[in-house]
Amino acid sequence: MTTTDHPSVGPDGVEEPSSSAFYEDDDAKVKLHFGIDPHEPWPDDVPRGQDDSRWRFQDNPKLARMAELKIAFCWILTLLAGIGFAVTYVVGGQTQAEGALLAVGFLGMGVGLILWARDLLPGTEVTASRGSHNVSDRSKREAAAEALNRTIDPIARRPFLFRLLGLVGGVFGLAALFPIASLGDRPHRSLYKTAWGPGVRVVDQDNQPLKPSDIKVNGILTVFPENGIDDAQSSTVLINLGNAPFDVRPGTQGWNIGGLVAFSKICTHAGCPVGLYNSTTHQLVCPCHQSTFDVLKGCNPVFGPASRSLPQLPLAVDTEGYLISSKGYQEPVGPGFWNRA
Amino acid sequence: MSTTEERLAAQKRLKYEKAGLDAIDDRLGSSGFLQKALDKIFPDHWSFMVGEIAMYCFVVLLITGVYLALYYVPSASDIVYHPTPGHGYMPLAGQHMSEAYKSVLDITFNVRAGLIMRQMHHWAAVVFMAAIAFHLCRIFFTGAFRRPRETNWVIGLLLLLSVMLEGFSGYSLPDDLLSGTGLRVVFSIVESIPFIGSWLAFDLWGSAYPGSALIPRLFVVHEFLFPLAILGLLTVHLMIIWRQKHTDFPGPGKTETNIRGSRLWPQYAIKSGALLMVVSGVLAALGGLFQINPIWLYGPYNPFTVSAGAQPDWYVGWLDGSVRLWPHWEFRSFGHEIANPFFPGILVPGIVFTLMFAWPQIDRWIYKDHAAHNLLDRPRDKPFRTAVGVGALAFFTDLTLASGTDILGNDLHIPFERLIEILQYGVFVAPLVAGAIAYKACQALQRTGTHPIMKPVGGVLIRTADGAYHTLGDDHGGHDGNGHANGHDGNGHAVDGHAVDGHAVDGHAVDGDGSAHNPEEDITEPAVGGAGPGDA
Amino acid sequence: MTRTRKIVRRVLRGRGTGRRVLAGPAVVLALGVAAFAFMALTGGAARGADATVSTSPQDIAAGEQLYAAHCQSCHGVNGVGGTNGSPQLITAGAAAADFYISTGRMPLNNPHDQALRHHSYFDAAQTRQLVAYINALPQINHVAATGPGIPTVAPLCTSPGTPSGCVNLSDGERYFSLNCAQCHQAAGSGGMLSKGNVIPSLHNASLTQVAEAVRVGPMPMPVFGSGQLSNQQVSAIAQYVQYLHNPTNAGGLGISHFGPIAEGFVGIVLGFGILLLASRLIGNRG
Repeated sequence: MTTTDHPSVGPDGVEEPSSSAFYEDDDAKVKLHFGIDPHEPWPDDVPRGQDDSRWRFQDNPKLARMAELKIAFCWILTLLAGIGFAVTYVVGGQTQAEGALLAVGFLGMGVGLILWARDLLPGTEVTASRGSHNVSDRSKREAAAEALNRTIDPIARRPFLFRLLGLVGGVFGLAALFPIASLGDRPHRSLYKTAWGPGVRVVDQDNQPLKPSDIKVNGILTVFPENGIDDAQSSTVLINLGNAPFDVRPGTQGWNIGGLVAFSKICTHAGCPVGLYNSTTHQLVCPCHQSTFDVLKGCNPVFGPASRSLPQLPLAVDTEGYLISSKGYQEPVGPGFWNRA
Repeated sequence: MSTTEERLAAQKRLKYEKAGLDAIDDRLGSSGFLQKALDKIFPDHWSFMVGEIAMYCFVVLLITGVYLALYYVPSASDIVYHPTPGHGYMPLAGQHMSEAYKSVLDITFNVRAGLIMRQMHHWAAVVFMAAIAFHLCRIFFTGAFRRPRETNWVIGLLLLLSVMLEGFSGYSLPDDLLSGTGLRVVFSIVESIPFIGSWLAFDLWGSAYPGSALIPRLFVVHEFLFPLAILGLLTVHLMIIWRQKHTDFPGPGKTETNIRGSRLWPQYAIKSGALLMVVSGVLAALGGLFQINPIWLYGPYNPFTVSAGAQPDWYVGWLDGSVRLWPHWEFRSFGHEIANPFFPGILVPGIVFTLMFAWPQIDRWIYKDHAAHNLLDRPRDKPFRTAVGVGALAFFTDLTLASGTDILGNDLHIPFERLIEILQYGVFVAPLVAGAIAYKACQALQRTGTHPIMKPVGGVLIRTADGAYHTLGDDHGGHDGNGHANGHDGNGHAVDGHAVDGHAVDGHAVDGDGSAHNPEEDITEPAVGGAGPGDA
Repeated sequence: MTRTRKIVRRVLRGRGTGRRVLAGPAVVLALGVAAFAFMALTGGAARGADATVSTSPQDIAAGEQLYAAHCQSCHGVNGVGGTNGSPQLITAGAAAADFYISTGRMPLNNPHDQALRHHSYFDAAQTRQLVAYINALPQINHVAATGPGIPTVAPLCTSPGTPSGCVNLSDGERYFSLNCAQCHQAAGSGGMLSKGNVIPSLHNASLTQVAEAVRVGPMPMPVFGSGQLSNQQVSAIAQYVQYLHNPTNAGGLGISHFGPIAEGFVGIVLGFGILLLASRLIGNRG
């Protein structure tokens, strides 16, 4: 099975079909590769049954017998693995055993087949002409063109009908696309809205309201609007910065309660939950694409692909001392979209 | 050796065989086709088998996939998981989750042999894409996409795209924490498309993110749409290969107009069947012994929960890396904005795939080569193309590495900020450097005429202590005194046309007819050689 | 993690040595054996810790001596804090002391380095003494104690006889995935935080250490007070982390639970690599 043991075939090759219009048209000359002499008289076809009926160990019964035993060994391995698999399954199944047994079974079968084909089945390498299967000759091409032309001329004679057909097809096709719209709701204002609003209580994962004192200095908690845990747009992180110098951005005065600030948890880049909080540097990091936000600077992006700050949620305390949002988010949360700005 | 009984038995067998064939032919008239098919010759270089590996991965995917589909529940409705000890995964007992996630837990822990099927399925997808990528590289570097095979290049790329999308949709079906995060990113990428983004995203998801329509839709896409597309494209792919016949590497006795290899029956068919067995075996070994996508550890998806190390499967990694590396640019004006994910998530893959689809045209334009080819290029003989390919591989590698910045940073003890910066430069530098090295390597290889990993065709040239030359490994070392010595000493020959043509002087060693040529003849032969005997 | 890699490497190397056709089944068998061996080896044992802090004068005195020898140069006399940026320890509390010392994070050579897990510098008795001393620091300095004490971790509800107040893994998973997985990864394999801060793997942390870390918030980890996570919730998290030391690897070798990129690597190198070798056996190598 290596290139060097190609069959020693006689010089009775069939002549190359030189009528291939394809190659002539392109003026393609056969290229030389590996410095092989093109004049070497290689036959282009090997008469069937003459040279390719030999098999590897034909003249060596001893080796053939050995090969037979090897193949039998492989296939018996498959047999045993198959039985083993069935037994494993019946007694309750075990994934690792199943995998190993299936693997042994398949590989035994495969290796046996390879040895069988290599050692005991006919199949020396043969050479044949590629023929002209890739291309048709000139007359066939012309016949095809004529057949096609049967309609083209009449069509060209009636340009009005042809154009009308195009128009009708276009309009009708467009009309047929309309049902695509029923695949989904229109976005309307939903991308601008969250479940937060004036006076909505801030709750934890178990829908329990929180007090400002619940969040320790350097603490972080994922919070939700009361009864709004299922609103994917509303998840928020509550961070207690303690005495760290927090930069109150213009327009956000009074949105924090002491060191307690709340920002949208949805990354302004690709919408992943911005969860990693570094309490030393007061940075929030998104685990998806490593956008980094400086909480002290109003969650301004300082690294990574995000280009907008995380929106801040204005916080307040209600009469019972629980945290509420004094009003909802003042800008759309999450990643950008065409109509956002 | 053959006794009378054996001969009689053989005659009898032939009789039955013919009777069977007659019965079929009487109805279909198929014998002509059958003979042609069974006698069809396939070149069987090992690298041509990689496409078959891919195809057999698909076979494994279909079989395991049908099994999984019987148990999978494509529903996002919320239910509570109630496993019993020994039947199910206790650490998630009592949790809310989607029915889809629960059904995958059931496949994993309750369905006997379910986990091996699921893991074989997933590993098959991973290996499928690896085989496709390798196959694509083989086609590219050997110029197998050249006329008349441009159509199959395009179909192959469509297959690549379909398989990528098929893989991603499958990765998303379990609705676990990891895949849900991936879908969130895809929603954002779709949303970022100018003009239609948010409408398109809402049409795909059915409503605002996350909605409940996506999982059943993904199921249809994954079970029906893409498998059908892959099946159809694959059929056409193979029919075209059948029609055009496979390309082959140049070699002794091989010309543009002949084909050499083993016949379909029995060698090629049986070996191919064996390859199916080997592929299945390796996938079963991976599926049973190496855990993939342990969704029970990731937990059910919540839009507000995320795990560190969120990545897609490896073949989507380059896109994720592109999204990580793209700088923080967004364009806002006139009340509209083009959001950041559009550029790395839509534009970059758009450009990459456009270039890939257009490559046969670009290649033709570069090399002014409109001829049809059945013999492959050696990569070294087309240094520029090889350099482009190696550069592209460097580009993809850089982006794929970028999708693992958090994990790599930890392993390499480099802050991810630094790593991302390095990889951002790498996107530009790595392809140029890798391409330049490849270009130079091609030129150097052309000069030496040796193959980097295989022994040269026909033998090895040895220079003895007293200055004489011998070839090893062939049986006619007698005539190689002058010509071979000249070709190999590198004095003056290294830069002349002889070397650039890529004619390894080793070729002489396999001439077979024993006639000695001198190198000067070699230079002129390509021009006058013509198409062999037929042209004469 | 490293053990997995070693085995993968060994498997890979084993594949490379032989190209004989019959090596295939042998390799598969070897893979199976390796997988079973690995699973047998990783039977992790949980280390329990004592939740009580000694208040005996002897322990405090011994702790003071240890403190003077090993801690005072940075943290100052009686824990008042150092000039090189080392924090005061007066209100650190027993949980912080026990966490930093028992995980080997302290003593630290450079106060500006991130403290990471090392072999514990002090033995169990010394740790108890030092914790006793630091626990007594508020008294010594006449201030109110504010640092968290060593938390008690509630047991898992395993059998019908488990006392009330037990926790279950499912709750642990839920709170872990919301509060911890974003940094420590869903399987507790760790990761990386901004500015090169390492997020440690949790696979060596004991029950008490996890609970202490949650309460203390060892820099740069944030703090979780009892208003954020109740004692029950923290116990559940600690128990789940304990489970993650040796989680259900129903599918075979865990590949470090690092996810798709690691899996892709195995799939390409091992799976596709073997198939390439096989195709070289089947096909023509000319």
